[in-house]
Amino acid sequence: MGRRGWLVGLSCLLGSLLISLVLWAQPRKEPVSILMPAPFADATVELVETFNREHPNIDLTVTRGPLETEAVSDLAISSLLLGNSPYDVLLMDVTWTPKYAKAGWLEPLDGWLGDDALSDLAPGAELGNAFDGHLWRFPLVADMGLLFWRTDLMDAPPRTPAELEAISASLQQQGRVRWGYVWQGRQYEGLSCTYLEVLRGFGGRWLRDGSPALDSPEAIAASQWLRSLVNRGVTPPSVANMAEPEALQAFESGDAAFMRNWPYAWAELNKPGSVLAGKVGIATMVSLPGEPHVATQGSWGLAVLSGSNHKQAAVEALQFLTSTAAQKELNLNWGYTPTRLSVFEDPELISANPVLPELQAALAAAVLRPVTPIYAQLSDLLYREVNTVIAGEIAAAPAMETLQRNSVQLERSTGGVQ
Amino acid sequence: MFRSRQQLWLMLPALAALTLIFVLPIAHYLWLSVHTQTVLTELKPIPAGAAQWIRLWNDSRFWQDAWQTLRFAGFSVTTEMVLGLAIALLLNQPLRGKSSLRLISLLPWALPTTVMALGWRWIFNDPYGPINQALHWIGVAPVAFLANPSITWIATVWADTWKTTPFVALLLLAGLQNIPRDLYEAAQLEGASAWQSLWRITIPLLTPYLLIALVFRLAQALGVFDLVQVLTGGGPAGSTESLALYAYLNAMRFLDFGYSATVMLGAFAGLLVLCSGLAGLWWFTSSRLSIKGGEP
Repeated sequence: MGRRGWLVGLSCLLGSLLISLVLWAQPRKEPVSILMPAPFADATVELVETFNREHPNIDLTVTRGPLETEAVSDLAISSLLLGNSPYDVLLMDVTWTPKYAKAGWLEPLDGWLGDDALSDLAPGAELGNAFDGHLWRFPLVADMGLLFWRTDLMDAPPRTPAELEAISASLQQQGRVRWGYVWQGRQYEGLSCTYLEVLRGFGGRWLRDGSPALDSPEAIAASQWLRSLVNRGVTPPSVANMAEPEALQAFESGDAAFMRNWPYAWAELNKPGSVLAGKVGIATMVSLPGEPHVATQGSWGLAVLSGSNHKQAAVEALQFLTSTAAQKELNLNWGYTPTRLSVFEDPELISANPVLPELQAALAAAVLRPVTPIYAQLSDLLYREVNTVIAGEIAAAPAMETLQRNSVQLERSTGGVQ
Repeated sequence: MFRSRQQLWLMLPALAALTLIFVLPIAHYLWLSVHTQTVLTELKPIPAGAAQWIRLWNDSRFWQDAWQTLRFAGFSVTTEMVLGLAIALLLNQPLRGKSSLRLISLLPWALPTTVMALGWRWIFNDPYGPINQALHWIGVAPVAFLANPSITWIATVWADTWKTTPFVALLLLAGLQNIPRDLYEAAQLEGASAWQSLWRITIPLLTPYLLIALVFRLAQALGVFDLVQVLTGGGPAGSTESLALYAYLNAMRFLDFGYSATVMLGAFAGLLVLCSGLAGLWWFTSSRLSIKGGEP
């Protein structure tokens, strides 16, 4: 090697030493990474910036996950299975909590947040965060099933299944709408949410005393009613492949009088340029006289992963993002439903968002889907069988008997659903 | 097996790669399939003997999905082979703008499956999708393509055919271009019709390519997942659920890894039987075939 070569080598060595020295001398920031579905990641950009400004020792980043709920779960589970997940915090759907907790992926929050952590939560929002005596998740955004109705077509929303059918039929006969009621009937989780509301409205239960009760007369009547909506032309047959976007599409084009959907649809329907802006009301699901009007709870909450090496910083980020101020901002700028009572009762928010008290009332009517680590299996059995009924392949009674048999078999083979 | 030590050494890297990619995962799956590893065992594997295999044998959903997967693969691959051959024959003709035609015909294949499945979900939408709009104009009632168990599986076959026919056409086009022109000229001189040339020259000489396309397509179609997941989610009434989708549900949604591995191995065994049948067919036809296709 010539002299030149030596010189080049030496300067490279010195240069890299210098760079590593500079990097090492910088104050060490504690990295905290959160995985969120894309819409939430977009909505929290400013909050994250504020947090990082106020916490110079923490570097909070949000990974923009997929749009679809289950795709986010797939991504999270894949990373957790490989061990050493790159995420410290996960924004989770309510139904994942028992499964993730049982798998040992979550850090119990009881010790971190204190006993009164849930005291400010609005009724309904406190559900679905605990499992097996521990708190695993803190709710960031409340979500519950709503019945959307057209204020320009009727004075008040229907309160019973019969009223819903009667209003639909009369509006359809007058030619004012093509269909009465659109909802989620595709073979997927959304159908379990839809069905649960009808089931409770008919006086039935998914689980009774911790065991499946899906062959009860009420459960059969509930699935029979959903099918009869298709038979009577109140609901189009395409409902058997309808998820939220398809139902919203039919409703927002003015083709339907009623729709079952989540609060996000309210913002969509009242966007500037929407033909239904100002013509939509919200209510809870119809029910038989004497039975409750319920809303399936579908909230999103933050959980700290047990494998995180930055738990203290992660909890700080969790507390910041779910704080009153943050929830207020998320509601004002993005229309997300808060989970804290103090935010629901904020006069500034109520005047900006007059639908807030109605959302609060719907949240108070929230019911949980079964809280069990094997919920995904239970729900898969349910939406598959109810979808078969809706598609008209089988009558409600034998379908629900099959569903009950399969659910009980699952319960036995796994040693109980609770 | 190996004629010299050198040959063995030269084969080693390939063997190591194959072991890593095929043998180890399959061995791991076999191990998983005799264990219970679920969310309820807190993801710890517990020896389970043959329990998972007995469960598979008695699982009517597995057999229903196996039948549905076979139906999907059978119909889509057959259609793709026939259409692919027709398109390859067409593209092999001296046409004007041949290269741009070839490029255009490849477009569907270049699209990611999820994207094209979303596209078809919209096209099949009832009643807002383009097909139902067209039906509406000619006064036909809308068809619930994705909500009727006796129609929806055909829609999945259709979407798959649209996407992968170009792949078959491309493979067969390569095969067609390898058939020497002089064979056709000789046949023409002897007074053979175009039909006779097709059956006596083209098809026999194309057989190896047809078989390659068939094996590739069958293996892919029998493992269909993304198309079904996006287009129908396995519904309606479970009528489009494939074995891959069922295995995925068990692993990623139910966290039941032992059973998911068993489902996958069951499907793999079926695929193995099918492919060895095809390999037998290959051996049979190629041993009967005396013409080797003349000059390269």
